[in-house]
Amino acid sequence: MGYIHDTHMAQYIPPTAFHCVTGTYTDAAGAVAGTIAKHRAAAASTGVINIPIILPSNSVDLKGAYLTTVEVDYECLLAAATSITATMNKVTRGADGAVAVVSAVTVTQDLTAATDAADQDQHKLTVTLTTPVWIDNDAEYLLVITAICGATVTLDFLGAVANFTLRL
Amino acid sequence: MGYLHDTHMSQYIPPTLFHCVTGTWTLAAGQVAGTIAKHVAAADESSVITIPIIIPSNSVALKGAYLKSIEIDFEVLIAACDALAAVVNKVTRGADGSVATVTPQTFTYDGGHDAASERIDVDQHKMTLTITTPFWLDNGEYVLVEITADKAATTTIDMLGAVANYDLRE
Repeated sequence: MGYIHDTHMAQYIPPTAFHCVTGTYTDAAGAVAGTIAKHRAAAASTGVINIPIILPSNSVDLKGAYLTTVEVDYECLLAAATSITATMNKVTRGADGAVAVVSAVTVTQDLTAATDAADQDQHKLTVTLTTPVWIDNDAEYLLVITAICGATVTLDFLGAVANFTLRL
Repeated sequence: MGYLHDTHMSQYIPPTLFHCVTGTWTLAAGQVAGTIAKHVAAADESSVITIPIIIPSNSVALKGAYLKSIEIDFEVLIAACDALAAVVNKVTRGADGSVATVTPQTFTYDGGHDAASERIDVDQHKMTLTITTPFWLDNGEYVLVEITADKAATTTIDMLGAVANYDLRE
């Protein structure tokens, strides 16, 4: 039996996989021709975008995917947002008849929420897990983007990339 | 450290991940019971369906996924389209503060879809796009297949899914 341990794996997560609430979201062409986006219309409210981290998992400890960082590509258009903040949740799936259990995963983001991450510009936001995790087959990870928006700003979410180690 | 080089990997891409603009799109049952589709209602318009190719990538050259072809399953119903064509775009992600860059990739249609008339008829379609020069996908890149369907007034389309074929090397 072979053994794979690749520390440079990545997985693109398209915006069509994003779960967006609070606000009016539509599939739209991106600002660059040929790209796609999940577009949030202007509204003075707080949008919440959950990005499911669609990596393989493994029921054996220390195997499968070891999630280290997630990069999110988005644009703030027409105006700056008030803030763009990333958090992460681990969802441990419930057994039949039981609810799931959510626990926060400690992360840091490379762009400051109220300034660099929120200005009117193209953004590549890198979110780093303080303690990377091996993903068990009973766990799901959701990256949560909380976008506090003023009345004018619109948002285009272009996609995300999860970086991980694959061990098989 | 081990070594994996599998030349027969495939990834199913469900229609729920398709990005569809222009037209009234709904999730619907497929024509065959038990299948699913993204369905566009009849209207004389050009709809654009973009399929995100969700294969793994790698920051090391010559590792990860080597994309070779993409198969798209769809049905044209009730009336033929006026035109239907595909584009394969490689998107290089922008750094913070920069836009992405889109580079069309050269490909060929399969023999059943290389003539324009073969892509538009009322029928079930399995359209294969073979990339002329396959490539290893870097983690700063992703691939989008864009289909533009110029529909007649009564045409409806069911997009059933897609499959990306690639080599995996670890």
